[in-house]
Amino acid sequence: MFSKVKSIVLNGLDGNLVEIQTDIENGIPEFEIVGLPDASVREAKKRIEAAIKNSKMEFLNKKILINLAPANIRKEGSCLDLAMAIGILIANRYITNLDTNELVNTIFLGELSLDGKINRINGILPMCIEAKNLGIKTVILPNANVNEAAVISDLNIIPVNNLIEVKKYLNKEIEIYSYQSKEIIFSRNDNIDFAEVKGQENVKRALEIAAAGGHNCLMIGCPGAGKTMMAKRLVSILLDLTIEEAMEITKIHSISGELKNDGLMTNRPFRMPHHTIPISTIIGGGRIPKPGEISLAHLGILFLDELTEFSRNILESLREPIENKEVVINRLNGNYRFPCNFMFVASMNPCPCGYYGDEEKECKCSEQEIHRYMNKISGPLLDRIDIQVEVKRPELRKIKSKEKPETSMQIRERVNVARDIQLQRYKKYGIYSNSELTTKMISEFCNLDVQSEELLQNAFKKLKLSVRAYEKILKVSRTIADLEEKDNIEFKHVAEAIQYRSIDKFIK
Amino acid sequence: MRTLIEYSSSTYPERLRYITNPPTRLYVEGNIELLNEIGISIVGSRTNTQYGEKMCKIFTKNLVEYNINIISGLAVGIDSIAHKTCLKNSGKTIAVLPCGLNRIYPEINIGLAKQIVSNGGALVTEYDNDVKTDSLKFLERNRIVAGLGIGTLIIEAGERSGTSVTARYAKQYGKNVFCIPSSLENKKGITTNLLIKQGSNLVTNVDDILEFYPDIKFTKKQVEIKDIVLDVPQNLIDVYKVINDIPQDVNEIARKTGLPISEVNYKTMLLQLEDLIIELPGQRFTRNYEKE
Repeated sequence: MFSKVKSIVLNGLDGNLVEIQTDIENGIPEFEIVGLPDASVREAKKRIEAAIKNSKMEFLNKKILINLAPANIRKEGSCLDLAMAIGILIANRYITNLDTNELVNTIFLGELSLDGKINRINGILPMCIEAKNLGIKTVILPNANVNEAAVISDLNIIPVNNLIEVKKYLNKEIEIYSYQSKEIIFSRNDNIDFAEVKGQENVKRALEIAAAGGHNCLMIGCPGAGKTMMAKRLVSILLDLTIEEAMEITKIHSISGELKNDGLMTNRPFRMPHHTIPISTIIGGGRIPKPGEISLAHLGILFLDELTEFSRNILESLREPIENKEVVINRLNGNYRFPCNFMFVASMNPCPCGYYGDEEKECKCSEQEIHRYMNKISGPLLDRIDIQVEVKRPELRKIKSKEKPETSMQIRERVNVARDIQLQRYKKYGIYSNSELTTKMISEFCNLDVQSEELLQNAFKKLKLSVRAYEKILKVSRTIADLEEKDNIEFKHVAEAIQYRSIDKFIK
Repeated sequence: MRTLIEYSSSTYPERLRYITNPPTRLYVEGNIELLNEIGISIVGSRTNTQYGEKMCKIFTKNLVEYNINIISGLAVGIDSIAHKTCLKNSGKTIAVLPCGLNRIYPEINIGLAKQIVSNGGALVTEYDNDVKTDSLKFLERNRIVAGLGIGTLIIEAGERSGTSVTARYAKQYGKNVFCIPSSLENKKGITTNLLIKQGSNLVTNVDDILEFYPDIKFTKKQVEIKDIVLDVPQNLIDVYKVINDIPQDVNEIARKTGLPISEVNYKTMLLQLEDLIIELPGQRFTRNYEKE
């Protein structure tokens, strides 16, 4: 009595096909799973036994052996429960009316509970993508996960609730209709909009430039100035997601179990980890690596509030991922790659007490303290931040004023235009935005006329800017020129770009 | 308003008639009455030191307080400082040009020339409207500068300078020459110190000058300081005017000027690079009074 069914396990972001081979023989009753199962797979024995019994079927007292092929890769998680239970039922000849041709093209995903119910699992989307790539036609999966899987077209998705239902379906006793994939609607979260931010035009402008060029951004300002509020609204002026991008971020969130029931993620992620976060949670890690905050922020925004409160370790560990847009986690049994192409946004106070430069409250810090505080942010990290802007507390009368600020939609229209220009310009170069320009490309795309060059030299001398600011200013002025749909960088673009070097002006 | 004054005219400045080689006619733009009022010529190097700048400002201001007009040559350096300080303290000033009124030299001071006229001062030249300047005309101009004043104050002058020529003319015409002493190490003080050695009057304050004119009754008045925007490039004036000594942040400036924030951003940066404003923490700006 032998059976073969198929399922998929996850390895990093990718799915791996697993064949579940079940052999049932007479002999001393025994239930064994081989093929590098980890604890959560081995525990499935008890769940399967109870689930089959509680589904009013007999769990035979025989010698049961399950092999998970290929036997040389580790399998973890509870997603194999259903497949193993079905394997046993088939080997037991419980499913008499089975179409073996169909079985070869079907995969089973789902976790069993003791009463036979099938529970939701994490990572359905990458598993289904893998199934589709392998040419699988039918996926039987938990009803709770159906929205997520429905994103993929050309796949026969069968949502099931319990073990009996699966048995009856395979026996052709009942028919379950394939879940139709829904049309994807990219709806914006309308709850947050820049129109709610009164005043702060300079910060809005800086964020608009940041969004248009994909520049990393640092906001410096006293408590209560509205840094976090504006950072949250940054998502609302970023580009619309494409289907491929939405799939990619849904995949990552699916693995991490961060998905709600909505299926495809249609908004760019905004991640705001607390400063006490351990390093493995922000970069990604664990014995079996899981994507960290930086990967969850993929194609969206990673916002670090109170940047100076984060431990130096964490800040330094962000350096490579920001540059490479991908993080590799090495483990004994393989390397795990997670994408992390995020926009880095951070906020901090200008000094330990928080009120340096505030008009109403007197700052109590000495110059030395301020200097030490600023120096908590290392040079190499600052190197990766193109735009620094100061945020001031808005005046009360401005908050109460009736003037209507621009809506996110209006800002987004300009951002979209600037992004399109960049996409066209960099088509052949494999980059998408001004922030990704390399030194060589800067000399090609960011040419200055004599007048602007002079201005920049003059600014460096007068404001004592550091050398590292040079390329940043060029990149940002390129974006400002793009926002105005100008082919060449002009004098005033450079002058405005120099304004966004607040920290350089602070630390001298 | 331009006026042509012939030598025979009754408005021709009296003091100018007594110099050895008086101009046959004068082209004047602005207030012609100034030509006969009491004025002191202030001259000095085009490449002044900080000391020279400071002294020029102090003496000019104090002279204006006694209602004395300032006469100078609209050149860069000490000349411009004298004109500007005079305007700032609501004084009247005469600029004597080495060129025609349509060809103001140096070009950088065209704005200053306009300010002089609009603030009740005058531009004076002996050349026809479209005459360009050349090296000879500078020296010729100096004799009018010396001739128009009741005396000449020399702030700073290097060796073999145009300023020493003006001093020579002034002596020749029998006018008092006042010199501000300089350190022996100051290269721009060589001529002033030399003139003192040769018998010019060393002055340490304005009273030293006034006591040479016992016939004239000087009364001190409280001068009113005018907000005159001089060195600011035309396109930046709108932003500059809004900024004053109370620090203001960019958003306030944007609201007051009605300009978009992107424009305010680049204009404040340019003003900063021109040293006209200072940035304070919190992206607030205030005028740089040290520059003025």
